[in-house]
Amino acid sequence: MGNSFTMLLDGFQTAFTPTNLMFGLLGTFLGTLVGVLPGIGPALAIGLLLPVCLSVNPTSALIMFAAIYYGAMYGGSTTSILLNTPGESGSVITALEGNKMAKAGRAGAALATAAIGSFVAGTIATLLLAFGAPWMAEVALTIQPAGYLSLIILAFATVGTLLGSSRIRGLVALSVGLVIGLIGADLQSGALRLTFGNLNAIDGIETVTVIVAIFALGEALYLASRHTLVPTEVLEMKGKAWMTREDFRRSWRPWLRGTAIGFPLGVIPAGGSEVPTFLSYGVEKALSKNKTEFGKGAIEGVAGPEAANNANAAGVLVPMLALGLPTSATAAVVLVAFQSFNIQPGPMLFQTSPEVVWGLIASLFIGNTLLLVLNLPLIRFWVLLLKIPTHYLYAGITTFALLGAYALNNSTFDLQVALAVGVIGYLFRRFGVPITPLIIGVILGPLAELQFKRALQISQGDWHILIAGSFPKIIYGILLLVIIGPLVWNFKKKFAVAK
Amino acid sequence: MILKISKQAKGELAFASSLLLLGLFVAWDTSRMEIPQGSSIISPQTFPYMVAAFTSLVGFGLIIDILRGRLGVPDGDEPGDPVIPTNYKTMAIVGLAIALHVVLLDITGYVIAAAVCFFGTSYGFGSRKYLKDFGISLTFALIVYFSFTKGLHINLPSGFFEGILGNGK
Repeated sequence: MGNSFTMLLDGFQTAFTPTNLMFGLLGTFLGTLVGVLPGIGPALAIGLLLPVCLSVNPTSALIMFAAIYYGAMYGGSTTSILLNTPGESGSVITALEGNKMAKAGRAGAALATAAIGSFVAGTIATLLLAFGAPWMAEVALTIQPAGYLSLIILAFATVGTLLGSSRIRGLVALSVGLVIGLIGADLQSGALRLTFGNLNAIDGIETVTVIVAIFALGEALYLASRHTLVPTEVLEMKGKAWMTREDFRRSWRPWLRGTAIGFPLGVIPAGGSEVPTFLSYGVEKALSKNKTEFGKGAIEGVAGPEAANNANAAGVLVPMLALGLPTSATAAVVLVAFQSFNIQPGPMLFQTSPEVVWGLIASLFIGNTLLLVLNLPLIRFWVLLLKIPTHYLYAGITTFALLGAYALNNSTFDLQVALAVGVIGYLFRRFGVPITPLIIGVILGPLAELQFKRALQISQGDWHILIAGSFPKIIYGILLLVIIGPLVWNFKKKFAVAK
Repeated sequence: MILKISKQAKGELAFASSLLLLGLFVAWDTSRMEIPQGSSIISPQTFPYMVAAFTSLVGFGLIIDILRGRLGVPDGDEPGDPVIPTNYKTMAIVGLAIALHVVLLDITGYVIAAAVCFFGTSYGFGSRKYLKDFGISLTFALIVYFSFTKGLHINLPSGFFEGILGNGK
């Protein structure tokens, strides 16, 4: 603990240099921007900025990405409340009560409870991250390849089956991701897979290209196919973005409860921010003394989920940093960013790159504070941005996405890949298949194979090693619970209905 | 039992079948993989076969799911929402704009490729103010081109504007 504390202080020293502070500020600005704008989220934004940032000092670039990660959540809640169009998935629940509050003329209070709640939750959760992640990394150093493989498979199962409306469709996305991850030369033997003699494909498919194309191009094609571009109505914000004493009294418990729900669900891969925000909403509704207000603009329904969303985002960083296991699309792209600077997140990270990782964690605190200070006064400016005509917005995003895909390697092949992945992204949206499991599959598929081979090499080809020892057994036990639990639940519900 | 398959389900069945085929295809590609000499104990084929099996299985599962009447809910819709018919025309325009960017980049250089893509996408999204769109497209492409090549020193193909815009370095 003591050690983490001194390291964190060093981190603050890293983060407080003028350059890093400037990148942090830029990140909070860009993050809020992409959170506010529809059609572009934090994962896409970081993917687009990656080629530009490769010449920047890794610490500065990663500080900016972390600020984008946190900033997008602030921006997302703004659009949820004022427009009823959530900018990103974690803000979907916020729209339920937040937009009702705005319609009742309480937009200022809704925005304030969202921002302050995000700050409180973000700060507590980042503290937990600062002390939890090094601890987890230390434990993880003892994990054998077979154990690591079991963790990856657990991540596959939770991300694949908990996201979206249908379990089979999550697995569909995962399988396509795994296939994309296969493309290229096998790391150990050099055997070529699915390359069809194309020299460009030997190095595999760029993860950033996949992320950029599936979000930007897939979304553009999908929206064009539906052609439902009715301009949305921006609610006017009356008065100041601030809360009354009564609002505070009703908000602080939901903030803390949201943090308590969001953080653990981020650490154990429960698949994105939908589950914790939804859960927090349910808890607040159940505990509230003003149940009738829910659905008409209850402030607890904004405060809880917003806190849960931010705490969850910090929680997701724990396994990403300590184990190298991303469980959300944004964490995945941050991991890729680390890798493109030749820094490998995982158990060794805290020893090999202490400056980068502690600078990053310290900058999360700074970013969080900046967001609170900058956001509420700037809300009118963000709202102004929403007046950009949709056709120019999507034209810009599409063109930028293609630029991002190209600029990474200056390769036309990457553009062709982007086009193909864009079509996959369209089909996924059209048929209700979630996107995140695909990205997790692309990133973790090759890692799963690596650990699988390492394990079997240790055992000289004896497959029993995969379940040897207590660690893999425990993880596979949890896996069974994750798979069977919901089935039993459904069965019970059906049984009860039949009775 | 006579199954009445809706038009929507047919499209989704085609999607699910292509997933099943993808699995089989990966298996076929793996079977003809050339394995370099001196490989380790674990064949480079083992994992791809597992992925192939998983993909086919999931594709099969999706087909069953659809046949049992559980269709996917399009992104942004709620279950039970009326089906929004696919507007193939607008989608094709946006798709074409993207494809043109890919094709044109090496031929005409970045500025024209990006301007065409920007113009085409905004046309696909319903904008009909041609002159204004044209101006914005070209301005956007030029700003991006110069800020990347001159500001960030990231190379972009200059195409046949080379003489006018500099060589992009």
